[in-house]
Amino acid sequence: MIRLSNLSKSFGEMHAVRSLDLDIEAGQFFSLLGPSGCGKTTTLRMIGGFEKPSAGVILLGGKDVTYEPPNKRDVNTVFQSYALFDHLSVWDNVAFGLRRKGVAKAEITQRVGATLEMVQLGELGTRKPRTLSGGQRQRVALARALVNRPRVLLLDEPLAALDLKLRRQMQIELKQIQREVGITFIFVTHDQDEALTMSDRVAVMNNGVVEQCGTPEDVYERPATRFVASFMGTSNLMPGVYADGAVTLDGGLTVNVGQRSFADGTAVSLSVRPEKIWLSDFEDGMTRVRGTVRETVYSGPTTTYLIDLVPGVRVAVLEQNTARSRNEDRWAGGETVDLGWRTADCLVLS
Amino acid sequence: MRKPRTAFAFTVLFFVLLYLPVAVVVLFSFNSQKSLTVYEGFSLRWYEAFFADEALIESLGMSLRVSLVAMVGSLVLGVALALGLVRARGKLGLYAGFIMLVPLITPEIVTGVASLLLFKGLGIPLSTMTVMIAEITFSISYVTVILRSRVAALNREVEEAAIDLGATRWQALLLVTLPALLPSILASGVLIFALVFDDFVLAFFTTGVTPQPLSVRIYSAIRFGIQPTINAVGTLMLLGSIALIGLALLIPRFFGRRGGLSILSGE
Repeated sequence: MIRLSNLSKSFGEMHAVRSLDLDIEAGQFFSLLGPSGCGKTTTLRMIGGFEKPSAGVILLGGKDVTYEPPNKRDVNTVFQSYALFDHLSVWDNVAFGLRRKGVAKAEITQRVGATLEMVQLGELGTRKPRTLSGGQRQRVALARALVNRPRVLLLDEPLAALDLKLRRQMQIELKQIQREVGITFIFVTHDQDEALTMSDRVAVMNNGVVEQCGTPEDVYERPATRFVASFMGTSNLMPGVYADGAVTLDGGLTVNVGQRSFADGTAVSLSVRPEKIWLSDFEDGMTRVRGTVRETVYSGPTTTYLIDLVPGVRVAVLEQNTARSRNEDRWAGGETVDLGWRTADCLVLS
Repeated sequence: MRKPRTAFAFTVLFFVLLYLPVAVVVLFSFNSQKSLTVYEGFSLRWYEAFFADEALIESLGMSLRVSLVAMVGSLVLGVALALGLVRARGKLGLYAGFIMLVPLITPEIVTGVASLLLFKGLGIPLSTMTVMIAEITFSISYVTVILRSRVAALNREVEEAAIDLGATRWQALLLVTLPALLPSILASGVLIFALVFDDFVLAFFTTGVTPQPLSVRIYSAIRFGIQPTINAVGTLMLLGSIALIGLALLIPRFFGRRGGLSILSGE
């Protein structure tokens, strides 16, 4: 559906995007995830036609649109700043695209009305954008793009300006709207939770390249690189050396990880996610270590323990505070605890 | 806290010195006698004399025409220059920006003499047209100075959004960018109209013999002795100017957003 091949963009000496290859299937909710400056917005702007690539090709439905201007592409954008036309009413904002295309009046009336209904702004058509709240403005921007029924909708951190509660609500709503209209969404965000909850596929970007592209589960559970592991949540990266199915950590502790495709003596990082480390009710065959509790961070449904395995090797451990496992002040600072994890939950990254 | 009496007194003195001569002109424009020193009763005879004076009316007409043309001309060129300066890449915009400011700091008499020499050198006879050209040239800087910061404050994404939705570059400019700038454009237009209408120096050097702009005509008339008619003309010009400046200040409020003459209103 959309194919980016060998796509590059440089601004002078700065290489924003380097030889990017991506395939995005029709009807997907696809996220470009990465820290600021990773090239995700530049990639989006090249797909939208606002930046000319320095090299490479953009195919949209098999057609080469690499150097087509934005108004000749079957693609619409929801901008981070919303970029609403302040001198026009909400209704006229949404009708703008259809009028440029010369759609018949009756059809414009019908489509604008239906789209405003879909984003729950049916009553606000006559208002000026300035009189609306942030969330409502966001919906106008969405409606203004969707009403054109583009092949692809590009969204540049559209929820970044909303407060947390509204953002959660809009995440669910956006996903529903996407399923309803069946349009391919390409969604740029730096928020890993947002990317995980909303996407069918996620491309994690860093320094202008895609480090990993896959389902949310792929990139979280099976990160391909150190960067992906550390960007997607807390990953307890512990440097060490691999040899014969085990990693010897810098503090001298040796942890069994099973056979991996590394040469003996390779410097690696061992990673075990905080929620994959157990503190009680261990299973047979688990890797078991001892540690000293240094810090206890209570945050409602969960508690995080910071535990030193050996001096200098600290891991975070996440426990659910469910009725079954929660036990007031289970461990205090300075106490020695047993830790365990399944060998399969060990990630070994070069 | 003690009242700052001295500062208050100075403020009053300042305004008295500033406005007393103007008040005298207004008062004597309603004098029933020809005297410019003794007020002898109310009458509108000098206003009647003004409207009966064909030469003065002709000058008024010319000044209005020149102001209108200068306003439209300098708006078109000034807005285009502001857009260009903000969006030009590299050093070009920077240099052009400095050159644009030169007319504002050049003594007007220098501009006047220079314009005169230019027209003479090119063999262009002085006329209403030469006044218009000179005034447009002089006014572009004002428009650009006012508009430049507004253009810079525009969100580029808004124009991109218009193009994204199928507009051409021209349509984006006409349908989105210019409407966003409209309050500033109207306000600077009113300002230019008032400035050009009041202008004497540049008009004096670039006008032909007949017709003459109103300011030049008044100057010529005074050389042959001051007529009370001039007081009436001055009062009418004062009213017109106040109305225009008031309009310029009200425009942004009418649009309900910032972007008028923030220089004048101090907002």
